[in-house]
Amino acid sequence: MLQVNDVHAGYGNLKILRGVDMSISDGGIVTLLGGNGTGKSTLLKAISGLIPLMKGQITFDGLDISKLKPHERVRLGIVQVTQAKEAYPAMSVEENLVLGAYTRKDREAIKVDLERVYDFFPVLRERRKQMSGTLSGGEVQMLVIGRGMMAKPKMLMLDEPSAALAPKVVLEIFANINRIAKSGVTILIVEQNVRMALILAQYGYIIRDGIILIEGNADMLIKDPAVKESFLGGSVADVSRGLNKK
Amino acid sequence: MAFDLNSLLAFIIFGVTIGVVYGIVALGISLIYSGLDIVHFAHGEMYMFGAFFGLVLAENVGLPYPVALVGAMIITAVVGMLVERVFYRRLTRAGGGYTVAGMGMIICGFGMSVAMVNVAYFIWGAEAEPFRANLDYIPRLQFPGDIEVPESYVLTAIISVILMFTLHYFLRYTKPGLAVRAVAHNKDIAYLMGINVPLMISLIFGVACALAAAAGVLIGPMQSVQVEMGYLMLMKAFAAAVVGGFGSLPGAIIGGIMVGVFENLGAAYISASHKDIYAFLLLILVLMIKPSGLFGVEAKVKA
Repeated sequence: MLQVNDVHAGYGNLKILRGVDMSISDGGIVTLLGGNGTGKSTLLKAISGLIPLMKGQITFDGLDISKLKPHERVRLGIVQVTQAKEAYPAMSVEENLVLGAYTRKDREAIKVDLERVYDFFPVLRERRKQMSGTLSGGEVQMLVIGRGMMAKPKMLMLDEPSAALAPKVVLEIFANINRIAKSGVTILIVEQNVRMALILAQYGYIIRDGIILIEGNADMLIKDPAVKESFLGGSVADVSRGLNKK
Repeated sequence: MAFDLNSLLAFIIFGVTIGVVYGIVALGISLIYSGLDIVHFAHGEMYMFGAFFGLVLAENVGLPYPVALVGAMIITAVVGMLVERVFYRRLTRAGGGYTVAGMGMIICGFGMSVAMVNVAYFIWGAEAEPFRANLDYIPRLQFPGDIEVPESYVLTAIISVILMFTLHYFLRYTKPGLAVRAVAHNKDIAYLMGINVPLMISLIFGVACALAAAAGVLIGPMQSVQVEMGYLMLMKAFAAAVVGGFGSLPGAIIGGIMVGVFENLGAAYISASHKDIYAFLLLILVLMIKPSGLFGVEAKVKA
């Protein structure tokens, strides 16, 4: 579905990505892991088109999208959910969600999808008339994910959906990400919460200093001593149980 | 001048009417500020161009006044979008806002202002042109105490209210309006919603210039149309926008009305020869009491 070939990108003269290769196939959840400042968000921005490529190529469903503007990529089905703080605070919850469906013309289907988002995140239905600036951190995170769903994505990219949230809220959000994936949307999730991300995902990439360090199946990565050493601590069993309960 | 309640009422009515026009120009300045993060210093010239376009359409082409008004708005919007597309876009793309990088934008605005004034001199000459609009079908308003409000003021009030409500409806209840608000708040996220951000910025610029043109055509019959008219209007509208709180749209209108009333009262009761000072007196007073302006919202809730 998505092919990233030797991508170099950054900001101004500062090069952050130094030759990233990535291949994401249809369906399932893929996670991109790495510490702060390793280029995770930069890669997402390069894929969604917010920053131009310095070198390399990105193709989506066989189509070269390297030169497309961000809004054109959204029309193709590549939707990036930004970090939680970036809802539109002066718009109501429902306005935010409707804005997510901006590229779509199928009014009836948009209504159905709106209901679906409310079913996924019932708290949003309760707060639909509220300005999104009044929501809690977890609620805003649900809102931006719901807004991403409204675009009817083929591939949904999530930028640290667990950041600064309570463990219980994270579990709820991850369970819903799983539901979205089961409905046939390919998901690329960037995380710092490595353990949870590897339990959720089927495949993982680990990025460091702008290049992909390791890649592989999630259950393999979680046992990998190098990964364990640099990222993981403690047991994975409790998280796993929490996810399965949902 | 002797003080009596009737003339006070009259000054306030005229002040509000002229103030709403300041407000409309301020609305455009605020819109551009929200959408492009720049202060558009050539906006007074858009107002002046709009007035001339209206004059040409009404007098030379012979269109009825309301049609000339709409025509002037459309032409000015196109001119504005062209200016944005050709000159401002490459500068805003560099970003910067009010940092040193944003200075280029401010200087470009000033340059555009000077250039447009000179183009106007070249086309229309230095003389003030009277704008004789046929407004016989508009009723004069009679207020108690022998106050008579002339047609042009009545029309200005009506059209201003229509424009404000149209803009409000557009921003609040239409899809492009939603997109404009999204772009005003954050361009990157707007992009990720699938919004064509450069197109929306052009749209914002066009709407703002159309508003300025409307103000120009409305002011035309009250005063006269001349090349240097834009400078003072920019200053007043700027004062109105700041008084109301920069970036706030309701604030722009309220600020405009306050500036209009304040300067009319000042002219009536203090000194008419210093009429243009009062707007800035008000500006300084408001900034001393509330530096963010009356409706300036700290949390950057824009549009």
